[in-house]
Amino acid sequence: MAGLGSNSTTGATFDVVEGDGTVTVTVCGELDITNVEALGSAVAPAIEHEPSRLVLNARELRFADSSAIALWVQWATEVPEIELRDASPLLRRVVETMGLTETLGVKP
Amino acid sequence: MTETGPVSGAAAEPSDDAEGDQRRARAPGGAGSHRAWPYWVAAVVLVVGLVVTGVFVWISAASYTNNENRLLKLRVKDAGALFAGVLPNVQTPLASAAALADATDGAVNKFKAFIGPSVGPRGRGQFVSVSLWRLGQAQPLAVVGLPPLLASSPSGRAGLFARAARRSQLSLTGLLKASSPPRLGYAFTSPGLTGHYVAYAESQLSPNRRSRFQSNSAFADLDYALYLGRTQSAPNLLVTDLKTLPISGRHESISIPFGDSAFTFVVTPRRPLAGTFAQRLPWIIAIVGLLLSLGAAALTARLIARRNQAQELAVSLEQIAGENRRLYAQQRTIARTLQHALLPEALPKVHGVETSARYEAGVEGVEIGGDWYDLIALDDHRLLLVVGDVSGRGLRAAATMASLRFAIHAYAAQDDPPEAILAKLSNLVNVNTSGQLATVLCAVVDVDAHRLTVTSAGHLPPLLLSNGSGTFVRSEVGVPIGVRAGASYTSTSVQTPKAATLLAFTDGLVERRGESIDTGLARLQQAASNNHVALDDLLSHLIDDLRQDGGDDDTAIAALRWLD
Repeated sequence: MAGLGSNSTTGATFDVVEGDGTVTVTVCGELDITNVEALGSAVAPAIEHEPSRLVLNARELRFADSSAIALWVQWATEVPEIELRDASPLLRRVVETMGLTETLGVKP
Repeated sequence: MTETGPVSGAAAEPSDDAEGDQRRARAPGGAGSHRAWPYWVAAVVLVVGLVVTGVFVWISAASYTNNENRLLKLRVKDAGALFAGVLPNVQTPLASAAALADATDGAVNKFKAFIGPSVGPRGRGQFVSVSLWRLGQAQPLAVVGLPPLLASSPSGRAGLFARAARRSQLSLTGLLKASSPPRLGYAFTSPGLTGHYVAYAESQLSPNRRSRFQSNSAFADLDYALYLGRTQSAPNLLVTDLKTLPISGRHESISIPFGDSAFTFVVTPRRPLAGTFAQRLPWIIAIVGLLLSLGAAALTARLIARRNQAQELAVSLEQIAGENRRLYAQQRTIARTLQHALLPEALPKVHGVETSARYEAGVEGVEIGGDWYDLIALDDHRLLLVVGDVSGRGLRAAATMASLRFAIHAYAAQDDPPEAILAKLSNLVNVNTSGQLATVLCAVVDVDAHRLTVTSAGHLPPLLLSNGSGTFVRSEVGVPIGVRAGASYTSTSVQTPKAATLLAFTDGLVERRGESIDTGLARLQQAASNNHVALDDLLSHLIDDLRQDGGDDDTAIAALRWLD
């Protein structure tokens, strides 16, 4: 359940594309506890098709909180290979701080 | 000397906010109950509209009546003037005939020859009967046309002739009703001469005394009645075009002197003289005014109804908002109570260090958070300082937090080193089943040896303050708890300076959206550099300074200061 009066004013939009065993998830905006569940539901069907690879395109993702990162880690355990692509320096630093650079497949 | 830091953010003080909200919520509810009849304004609008309409109708009707009366007066004067013009037609032949008789000393033939053209049956001649009389004689000298009715009334004749002799003007009989239709007689005595002769004429009235103006006449829009004399007396009616008399309704009369008598001419308009529009105008104003008044009243009533609906809606919204505020306050109180119940009741006392800790709920703290701190005395000179943060919020996050906190207590009691503690915790949480990750920082403090051993499962590094400057104790960062079971962790040990202060915290203290975590860490470093204050005050300052804007996340801080 999303917190009452969440501060998430901008929200996020998702786009999920499947093909050649690769799921490409493009997220724009800000991801936090108020919309992480929606992102999880949007990607779950693609993961059920057992793709070999999941690419998370974060070029237009401005913010992600720990619940969003937990969701990505969950994907990382379910899909053989994951790549966090085009993450902003801010986001890469958060991932790095949490010791998840390798787990989330952040490319240098 | 050992001190115990207070656990800040006192838990569940009974909130009188909630009661206040309830009171506020009820207050507007009363407004709906004392509702007078709400449509009185519409009624006033209707009444005012009708009154204004009435005034305009009255003005319009009065103006119409005024105008009609004025026009009718003008018309009756015109008619009177026209009628007066007829008088010479009667008087002149008789006056001439009387003068001729005077001059010829009653020459009958000359009289007959002169007056003959004026005499004929009604409609063709001016008179039906003309006769010449010598004053004082009982029989006429000459008669042209029908025998005069006056001849059969000696007394009437004598009176008439006496009047005629006295005045140099036409003298009239009353209506002579011995014939049908009645006749009217005129007598004239020539003045100034011998005065012995009287010219007398009779004219006959129309059958039934009815006649109309011709339709193309200037007076075709008038009905009229003509009376002999100065009053409208029915026996003296000469002619009219009306079936019933006397005239009722709007009428005007004028008396026209005629000889020694007069005619009274009465007219009434057949239709409005100023046109039918002027006549209908008051009705038009009345109908339009009535419709406008009703329309305005209906519109007013509708607006009032809308306003009332809006007010009722506002009242119920206010009630709902009040209820929401109450529930919010209640939930916030519950969350705070539960949160503090899950945090340490008191911090352990260890000789040589001062400790303090804070838990600060986010501004939206209606839900319990997953942040925690802990301080565990391992023996008489070693402390385990822990801060952790379970992702997500609510009871699930709190439950995971509680299980991790108590598990750490258990593993610490078994003397497990911090890297082993974290490795064992990694078996307790699985992001695949719970969707949760937990970052945990374990710091073992050897008070006597001034040694600090830091182990991190994805957590932010602790800050070590000494001599007015702070450094982050960077260690190898392992994955957060929940990423995989059996994860391994590495500890990093550092020697601490004298009187150092150690601060471990969760990301709520430093993280802001749209800003690098390094910026937040630098801000903390800057804010904490002036650490020459009591440890409790330092934590209070940090929370006040760093969370004053944008701090919507929960924050846990644990701190320790060497007392040497």
